[in-house]
Amino acid sequence: MAHSHKPEKKKSKGPSSKLVSLVAQFDDPDSLVSACDRARREGYRKMDAYSPFPVHGIDDAIGIRRTRLPFFVLAIALCGCTFAWVLQYYVNSTDESPLFPGYKFFISGKPLGVAGIPANIPVMFELTVLSSAFAAFFGMWILNNLPRFANPLHRISRFRRATNDRFFLELNADDEKFNENRSRQQLEEWGATAIEECHLDTTDHAIPKGFKMAGVVLMFALLLPPALIYRAAGMPYPNPRLHVVPDMDWQDKFKTQTVGPNFSSDPLNPSYLFEDPQAMRRPVDNTIAREDYGMQFDEEFVNGFHGEAPSPETGGAGPNAAAAQDEVPAQPQVVEADWLKEFPSQVNVDVETIARGQQRFEIYCTPCHGYDGNGNGLVNERAVALNANGLAQWTTAKSLHDPAVKSQPVGRIFDTITHGRATMGPYKDQIPVKDRWAIVMYVRALQETGLAPPAAALPPSETAVEPK
Amino acid sequence: MHARRPGKITSPVVSLSTSYVKLIPLGLIVGAVGLGVAFFMSLGSDNTLKRFSYSYLVTFCSLLSMCIGCLFFVTVHNLTRAGWGVTVRRIAEIIAMCTLPMFLLFMPILIPMFTGHADVYPWVEDNWTDGEPNEAFQRLKDTYLNVNWFGIRMVAYFTIWGLMAWSFFGASLRQDVTADPQLSRKMQRSATWKMIVLAATIVFSSFDLEMSLSPRWFSTMFPVYFFAGGVLSAFSVITLTSLLLQRSGRVTDEITVEHYHDLAKLMFAFVVFWGYIAFSQFMLIWYANLPEETFWFRCRMADTASTGWKYWSLLLLFGHLLIPILALMARTVRRNKTYLLFASIYLLVMHWIDHFWIIMPQYNIGSDNHITAATNPLMFNWLIDVPCAVGMIGIFVSIFCIVAADRPLVPLNDPRLEESLNYRNA
Amino acid sequence: MATSIDMSLDNTFENPGRRAPLVLGGMNYGEVTDNVAHIWEMDRPPRTWYIVFSIAVVLLGILGACLFHLIMKGTGVWGNNNPVYWGFPIVNFVFWVGIGHAGTLISAILFLFRQNWRTSINRAAEAMTIFAVICAGLFPGVHIGRLWVFYWLFPVPTEHLAMWPNFRSPLLWDVFAVGTYATVSLLFWYMGMVPDIATFRDRTKSKVGKIVYSLLSLGWTGSARAWHRYEMAYTILAALATPLVLSVHTIVSFDFAVSQLPGWHATIFPPYFVAGAIFSGFAMVVTLMVPCRSLFKLEKLITIRHLENMNKIIMATGLMVGTAYGIEFFIAWYGGVSVEGFAFWNRAFGNYWWAYWIMVSCNVFIPQLFWIKWFRTNLVAMVIVCIFVNIGMWFERFVIVMSLSRDFLPSSWAMFRATEIDILMLIGSFGLFFTLFTLFCRYLPVIAISEVKNVIPHDHSHDHEDGSHGEAAAH
Repeated sequence: MAHSHKPEKKKSKGPSSKLVSLVAQFDDPDSLVSACDRARREGYRKMDAYSPFPVHGIDDAIGIRRTRLPFFVLAIALCGCTFAWVLQYYVNSTDESPLFPGYKFFISGKPLGVAGIPANIPVMFELTVLSSAFAAFFGMWILNNLPRFANPLHRISRFRRATNDRFFLELNADDEKFNENRSRQQLEEWGATAIEECHLDTTDHAIPKGFKMAGVVLMFALLLPPALIYRAAGMPYPNPRLHVVPDMDWQDKFKTQTVGPNFSSDPLNPSYLFEDPQAMRRPVDNTIAREDYGMQFDEEFVNGFHGEAPSPETGGAGPNAAAAQDEVPAQPQVVEADWLKEFPSQVNVDVETIARGQQRFEIYCTPCHGYDGNGNGLVNERAVALNANGLAQWTTAKSLHDPAVKSQPVGRIFDTITHGRATMGPYKDQIPVKDRWAIVMYVRALQETGLAPPAAALPPSETAVEPK
Repeated sequence: MHARRPGKITSPVVSLSTSYVKLIPLGLIVGAVGLGVAFFMSLGSDNTLKRFSYSYLVTFCSLLSMCIGCLFFVTVHNLTRAGWGVTVRRIAEIIAMCTLPMFLLFMPILIPMFTGHADVYPWVEDNWTDGEPNEAFQRLKDTYLNVNWFGIRMVAYFTIWGLMAWSFFGASLRQDVTADPQLSRKMQRSATWKMIVLAATIVFSSFDLEMSLSPRWFSTMFPVYFFAGGVLSAFSVITLTSLLLQRSGRVTDEITVEHYHDLAKLMFAFVVFWGYIAFSQFMLIWYANLPEETFWFRCRMADTASTGWKYWSLLLLFGHLLIPILALMARTVRRNKTYLLFASIYLLVMHWIDHFWIIMPQYNIGSDNHITAATNPLMFNWLIDVPCAVGMIGIFVSIFCIVAADRPLVPLNDPRLEESLNYRNA
Repeated sequence: MATSIDMSLDNTFENPGRRAPLVLGGMNYGEVTDNVAHIWEMDRPPRTWYIVFSIAVVLLGILGACLFHLIMKGTGVWGNNNPVYWGFPIVNFVFWVGIGHAGTLISAILFLFRQNWRTSINRAAEAMTIFAVICAGLFPGVHIGRLWVFYWLFPVPTEHLAMWPNFRSPLLWDVFAVGTYATVSLLFWYMGMVPDIATFRDRTKSKVGKIVYSLLSLGWTGSARAWHRYEMAYTILAALATPLVLSVHTIVSFDFAVSQLPGWHATIFPPYFVAGAIFSGFAMVVTLMVPCRSLFKLEKLITIRHLENMNKIIMATGLMVGTAYGIEFFIAWYGGVSVEGFAFWNRAFGNYWWAYWIMVSCNVFIPQLFWIKWFRTNLVAMVIVCIFVNIGMWFERFVIVMSLSRDFLPSSWAMFRATEIDILMLIGSFGLFFTLFTLFCRYLPVIAISEVKNVIPHDHSHDHEDGSHGEAAAH
């Protein structure tokens, strides 16, 4: 291969191209390394070698310093690890919401925060690895100034073998020692089998203005979809939503409080699976909730009275019981039970229980009795309105501030919740015993504070209850 | 460009030469004094022999797992036809060979078991309990954990290890004389089945020696944990021995910084591996929280400040895992002999601390899982455990010198010696 | 380059003093490039390629149909029942993730152990990894039910829900582990491929190819400075991928092992799962590489010795898996916990005894054939053994998952019955895998050209094998 090969001048338009470097070809890695070694000893500093695979010894030969990539990766790795822990702490161990609400919840008895760190380690490890892999990958390309698609070297057709089976040494023209003729001679001396000139096309290739404008417009257009999504979030929409999977949205199943499977096609003579046509089975009689197990032996706690059970006229009234009886609660002629006057020992009389009671009260009682216990719940108001039009029969919900109620012992109120009175149904199946007592306590607190907003007077009401 | 070295030994001194004659009695004296002090100090405890034996067992298990780790290194080195480590393989062979004499060191634990004086393993007693007494459970355990069967197994383990180590060591020594490359091939071929036998013996010996201290507790990961620590200490002790030998002017030319670099990388790898195994074992038991497993960790990390075990566990977490990871990550450390000397000693101490953590908490809870701070205090005593460890290390050095004698400390004619001498990290 | 006698096609000899050559036929740099690049440069691939590709596409279509049916109908189309809540999807997931371990293992761990023989097989193995992870991700991905809210798997802040994923759940760890693994494997694979894509770019005569390969190769020139940083980044990625590859199957094993179910809760699970993953992954690599090398005439680069080495690793990991089975059984007895003992007795002799014994035969007994050199070096024999290994590893996961069929409450015991959709989806996932793999073979460099060039001896300066370029330098 003759070294006097004519430099291949690509179609650089006119004179506006500039010599960047001389590129010498070598046939094997060892001669490349020795050439680099000699070039360095000759004083060349701005040079680079190209090879189809990493040639050992070349780093020393052209004086490449060890890259600082590892430190960069280590720094990012530590950040990734910290981020992972903070993320997990924030989303699972705290309810604080500086930006978005956290979601503190216990699961399978695992402690929160630092004590629960073993459960956080897998994700911490993965995010550490992920972030450092990104750092290594992108850091390497950034340090290498890649991607770079417009490289004058790619214009030299001989250079294509740099990724195949040839080895190249490039001497940059802006090196102090560079002199086109002398450098060419030296390269030949060092065993180059061919030498090429690398030219940079310096003709003005500025991007036309129209393209720039189009680019800017396009970028703004790209912002549109997220902006629209952001706008749509939380907006009411008049059309019904799209049902992608109808079977999931309308499932073939019997819901609670509905009628169960009917095997008869005759609408007048239905035949149900069970005698009681409800879809849902009732628990077996005397079923006790798991958490209440054992309590049935604490009779006072469960019943709210001492000794004998009250006569059926007083207690145990269902929705069908005569409404009149409820109007006059403590009628002397009826066998009255020995109601508890104080809270049983199983119940702690404290703010916490009252708070619990308030919460339960607001779930179960407010629909009829209202938030302040005045009997002005939404259901009640609606029902009263219907009553007035003769569309319903409704006994007005009792105000809990009614003196008759106020004078009732706690056991009596407890019994009302348990078994119901008049139109009020029994709540013993929905509300566990402890919570019923908590509600009673809250009702007492409401009564003590009169019609004032209940939360304001919680602590005094607590002391008011206790000394009795 | 680097000139290739021929596969020839060039160091002036390649054996312990005559100095081993001086080292043997020195080691034995240190051993006698150390163990004597430890025993004397144990007299103050409620059960002298038990306290001393526990301390003894800690160091014994640390040293034994280290020897087994070296045996593993020799086996795997032969098995994979590895070339880089030929120059350090002989040191590993010698330490692996020490497993056989280690059996003598096990006698102080084993003999009292037969004479009925031992309280080390709770299952030795007829009516041992471990938590709730359960006769069916005990009968089941007794079929495996009984003195005779235990003794037979111990003899079998040590015989197998001794024979395996001897066959590697012997073949390697023969090759020094005959320079027969076929010996390497033979070692490679036999390493296949030896690896399987080694794996099986490690599994059961770890159950017997350490896991059975708490007869109720079980963990399928335990053998791997034992193995990971053992191999880590093996690489540390190979590094340490090479460094000490080179400091005393032996094998100066053969073991280069490249070999240290690789040994350090392996130490790093096994620090991580140990951490991986330790974490997985802890994590699974912590997460599932089953009473038959959790008590073992509970008594090692009880949350009260008065039991020091919590801090001992934290010491392991930081000292055995996090600090070595950060330290050995740096290339400068891995290529610096002074740092490595420190690092290898440090890791060996940590290895001992690890075994202390496995064994010692069982001292008080052989008969009761429900421990409190009062019943399970940290059992570390400077005047018992440290002299005991120093004494046993002294004896171990003597054993090393007896095995090494004036045999060469590098393989002289290994066919891959040239490769090892010219080995360079990329 | 004259071909000497040593360069004959058998390089499986044992000679302790000499490293076996890794590239046969005395190829030089140009010939290596030609050998690999011809797959892309040939006008049309061999007929077998078309046959395999069309079968794979048909299976892929079946998978697509099954997925459509599944999404429309819901997960009830699977055989998952109560108590076997986790039927085929988890079995297939763990199976494919396991296969996906070989690639990164070969490229990362063998790289760190300086096993030079990895160079000829790592690229294809990495590609296989990525495709296997895609297949794996599919199953839990569609198992979530409401696919359109899949992003709830990630910690996406939502103002109105005020809810986050449960970071203490191993299933969420899986999302992170498999996600990280797929990402890092992809980066690793792509980064390794850039110099080879540059080779394609500089050789291709097709216009489209030129544009695509130019973009993909990012303007790579092979500058020494670039190589320096590239090698550093490659080492770092390898060092990261090594613990990562262990962690992924460890976390997959946590899915089972953190529970309190007998037969699932065993502390040995993490290393045992990892060994099993390597085992099945290598078997899959062998199964793929044997036909691949003869189809594309790569015998000189992927030599019998490469395959033999892989077979040895298969045997070794098979023994590890066998040891783990043994330890589990021993501890089930030694532990003295009756439910644990029952679970293992039931595995071997209970309702799924046949699955258990298929697993043991395929994973423990059949790989023992590799003790015999003929099985390690005969192409047909090794492929058959490897297929058995993969069957066995699928059954291993099946056996583990079927522990659910006998839970603590005998009244809820039930058998699992796979539906047609279950089976078709399993078969279809192979279609997805092979479609991707056949496309990869045709359009991307199957062998890491630049890395192979690094291990062939410099042709002019050495007349015998250079030790440091031989098969193995460490262990």
